[in-house]
Amino acid sequence: MISVKNVYKSFGSLQVLRGVSLDIKQGEKVVIIGPSGSGKSTLLRCMNLLETPEKGEVWLDERLLTAVDPSLHEGLETKKARKAFEKEYGIDVNAGRAKMGMVFQHFNLFNNLTVMGNMVLAPVELKLKSKEQAIKDAEALLSRIGLLEKKDVYPSTLSGGQKQRIAIARALNMNPKALLFDEPTSALDPEMVGEVLDLMKDLANEGITMVIVTHEMGFAREIANRVVFIDEGVIKEENNPQEFFSNPQDPRLREFLKKVL
Amino acid sequence: MLGNLNATFWQNLAKIFTSEEYMNMLFEGLGCTLLISFGAALVGVVLGTLVAIVKIVPSKNPVMKVLNFICNVYTTVFRGTPMALQLFIMAFVIFAIRGFPMEIVAILAFGINSGAYVSESIRAGILSVDIGQTEAGRALGLPYSKTIGKIVIPQAIKNVIPAIGNEFIALIKETSIVSMVGGLYDLTLVAKILGGGDKLASFLVPMVVVALFYLAIVYSLTFVIKLVERRLRASDKR
Ligand SMILES: Nc1ncnc2c1ncn2[C@@H]1O[C@H](COP(=O)(O)OP(=O)(O)OP(=O)(O)O)[C@@H](O)[C@H]1O
Ligand SMILES: [Mg+2]
Repeated sequence: MISVKNVYKSFGSLQVLRGVSLDIKQGEKVVIIGPSGSGKSTLLRCMNLLETPEKGEVWLDERLLTAVDPSLHEGLETKKARKAFEKEYGIDVNAGRAKMGMVFQHFNLFNNLTVMGNMVLAPVELKLKSKEQAIKDAEALLSRIGLLEKKDVYPSTLSGGQKQRIAIARALNMNPKALLFDEPTSALDPEMVGEVLDLMKDLANEGITMVIVTHEMGFAREIANRVVFIDEGVIKEENNPQEFFSNPQDPRLREFLKKVL
Repeated sequence: MLGNLNATFWQNLAKIFTSEEYMNMLFEGLGCTLLISFGAALVGVVLGTLVAIVKIVPSKNPVMKVLNFICNVYTTVFRGTPMALQLFIMAFVIFAIRGFPMEIVAILAFGINSGAYVSESIRAGILSVDIGQTEAGRALGLPYSKTIGKIVIPQAIKNVIPAIGNEFIALIKETSIVSMVGGLYDLTLVAKILGGGDKLASFLVPMVVVALFYLAIVYSLTFVIKLVERRLRASDKR
């Protein structure tokens, strides 16, 4: 459903992604791990085009989100052919993003809006739902995470764990096909990590597609269908969690696992 | 000598406040100063906002690039040259038209100058909003304009109000040079006229009185700004 094809991304002279390809199937839970600075966030951010890859493509549900990369296709040498291809397969970035929720390390709740304001802004502005419907759904989501009584407060009054659960609920109110998580528990006090992971486990069991960058290895082992090790801008290893953790092949992965387990 | 001066001081003070002519002149001066200040503030805020937006919107579009360049030249030139000179150029070069209302010349001169400062304050205010706010908006699929309009600008306003208030106060005081181009009787010029030989024949009292007028304007404005600031801050606590 999300297809990353040979993506390259650099910042100035720093080459961060050097040809990453990743196919994520409907309903799959993919956990991405790797050392700090290896490009995990950059890969996730390329998936919803918060970063623009300079080579390669990102597809969502058979729709092209990036510019077409002619080196991945036959017969797209001319500008005209590329334009035609993009016209046939491309979709608007915003439409693509609306189908992929993103959960950030630092929550990024809108500080100028109440919890309810945060939950309904995008679905209403993008006309995905009527205002009444958006509020109704938001209330259902908030009561599910036990935070309905917080609906009228501003984010500054919430704990980190509450903020992150609301950020997840905000993403869910868009009825996304997939959720991208970038270290959702890294900024949390240890006693709040559990509540966020529990919510994510619940979601995982419901069958939504999830791509998760995390350092929580226990959690990865428990919910992942596939674990991906990214290092030096490439995928060094990917496997089901059983094999991945008990029988790692890549020497850098072995070293990494020794450190984190 | 000092006693004598003291006596004249009170006499002159009494004269100003009892003479209808002098009081009328003072209030006309006040009106002129306020008109130029508020007019220029309005021009400054509108212009400053537009310039700040042009400077902040990321764009590869050539039209925007040209606009961006013009805006950079504008802020550099108008912040880098003396206000009096800008006023002269406006009055004696650009609007050197007989009968053209000097109020408008002054409002434009001070407003365009103020806009250069205001745009920098607004730009700084927008940039001080955490980039994560923009990213969260974009990640939800909101277009750039909606993200800026519904999320970033409301948060930036809070950061910008004090700076704009200070700019406005500076602007009011700055208008005291407006008489240099003639044709306008603002507070400062009225003080000078009142001190002349055919009126009070002493500058001390009219200058002090006019100084108090300025202080009163600035003080009330400071009060209003504080009030607005407190209102805005209250909205994000609760
Ligand atoms: N916008 C940017 N501008 C310049 N350099 C960047 C930018 N974003 C990321 N980088 C650099 O790219 C490299 C990869 O960053 P990235 O955030 O993808 O790593 P990561 O694997 O997520 O690391 P971490 O575990 O610390 O979050 C880092 O060296 C980082 O400093
Ligand atoms: Mg990261």
